[in-house]
Amino acid sequence: MAADWMILLPYIFLAGGGLFIFCAAILRPDASGLYFAIALASVVLAGIAAVFHPPGINFGGMIDAGGYARFFAVLVCVVSSFTLLLSLRYAEKKGIAGDEYFALILFAALGMCLSAGATNWIVFFLGLELLSISLYVLIGSSHDEPASNEAALKYFIMGSVASGFFTFGVALLFTATGSLNIADSLSNVQAGVSALALFGLSLIATGIGFKVSIVPFHLWTPDVYQGAPAPITAFLSTGSKAALFAALLRFSLVMSPELFSYMTPVFWGLAAITMIVGNITALAQTHIKRLLAYSSIAQMGYVLMALLTVRHDGGASVMFYLAAYALMDLGAFGTVALLSRGGSDIDTLQDYQGIGYSNPWASALLAVCLLSLAGLPPTAGFIGKIIIFKSVVGAGFIYLAITGIVTAIISVYFYLNIIVTMFMRPEKVPVDLAFRVDPLGVALSGCILTAVILLGVLPSPLLSLIERVLYSFRI
Amino acid sequence: MIASYNELILLSIFVFILGAVCSASRRNLIMILVGVEIMLNASGIALIAGSLRWGILDGQVFVIFIMALAAAEVSVGLALIIYSHKRTGSVNSDDYSRLRG
Repeated sequence: MAADWMILLPYIFLAGGGLFIFCAAILRPDASGLYFAIALASVVLAGIAAVFHPPGINFGGMIDAGGYARFFAVLVCVVSSFTLLLSLRYAEKKGIAGDEYFALILFAALGMCLSAGATNWIVFFLGLELLSISLYVLIGSSHDEPASNEAALKYFIMGSVASGFFTFGVALLFTATGSLNIADSLSNVQAGVSALALFGLSLIATGIGFKVSIVPFHLWTPDVYQGAPAPITAFLSTGSKAALFAALLRFSLVMSPELFSYMTPVFWGLAAITMIVGNITALAQTHIKRLLAYSSIAQMGYVLMALLTVRHDGGASVMFYLAAYALMDLGAFGTVALLSRGGSDIDTLQDYQGIGYSNPWASALLAVCLLSLAGLPPTAGFIGKIIIFKSVVGAGFIYLAITGIVTAIISVYFYLNIIVTMFMRPEKVPVDLAFRVDPLGVALSGCILTAVILLGVLPSPLLSLIERVLYSFRI
Repeated sequence: MIASYNELILLSIFVFILGAVCSASRRNLIMILVGVEIMLNASGIALIAGSLRWGILDGQVFVIFIMALAAAEVSVGLALIIYSHKRTGSVNSDDYSRLRG
């Protein structure tokens, strides 16, 4: 029995750290350095616990304790520790550092781990809501900025409507199949796919589609990404999307073949329209955060395309691309956080003119992440796209693959446009007067940059890990 | 007379549509929130119907979680709406359009 509880160690560290920060804030108000240290320590401990915890299958039929959940728990911990490090200076400059900021990052991370690892609809629902409610507050945490408040309001309205849809979908699926276990309820349907179960499933897909910004449900994304504080945008666009896509991948893997054949045309259409709309709309953007928002929508289209091929060994391509995407979007939004000087974030394309001369490391990070998002070698995004297109063509979705390749080529234009602006135009401010990123920021840029390139040059260790994880999932 | 499973499902779908229409058509932020609450309660009714149909308690357990989470969601949402109202003096969703493009 004692060993069973060890399975929950990563979750206990995250929840305990968050609660501890709230308690510490009663005794020592305004000690934001202390809160930061506690938060970082709990995320790192949770990550270590997720790597090393004793192997288990399942916790009471509620939480998956196998390699799949641990893979995403580690990914979430990496993303949240980088978010915390990016937030350290940023939150001080903006005057938003406090107990609730750091504690809510921990709770959001807990929600992500729970929704990636849940094997029961109740736990998944709790994880999803924990993640969303923490993020509503985090997005609105820049009190002085109207944009941040408006972004929080928009995300709240969209998110709560989405969770209303999702909850009703789960209720209908339960009514149709008689089980709240995710695998049982999705595979029991094969006895005869009832209209009620299909309706429930489509509502669930709508709810999750909102959260991962698949195209007809993407309208909140650019506004929220623009208004939110930059480190939170990085967190929102990487952690929550990776965790919810992990859940979607789990649903697709355990779904009965009959049900999956109903979902295939839906995913096909959504993937195509997401790639097209995301990449074409990004062409017209002049604000970096909005542009990256549309780019992240488009990236979700590629992952959704890979999701179609899970029956043909496409699961590995989804997981690899999610890991690569988390790193590169973290780097891209992280650069915006590093370069902002207090006040509102630097956002327009002109602000980035010639910034490569005064801040070589931060600009190099942004440039490499953009190249990776565009899918150019030698970066993680290149390998990820190659694997996705290979599995999509292998599964016979030729037209979808062509759509993906054409939109990827179009996207190269706007990514390169930013890089040209940064490095090939003269800076408006003389180099010696320009803002400079602090040493911690330079070190962070170096880390993320190395990781993105390393995954592009040497993908095989991660790929073999993913294969092992997926193999254990199938048993 | 005890309501049958079919009647409960029809009721929950009806209530859900009411909630969805309310949150989609109203421009008042508080009314949108009310619509969301109605949708969540419709899920509660559907879960009770499922419990009735299959004779298991799981659905009723879920309803308790939904009630707790709906309360948390509303408290965060109302705090956000009150803060926005103090700042701009409006609870109309059309007035929040600084971010666009």
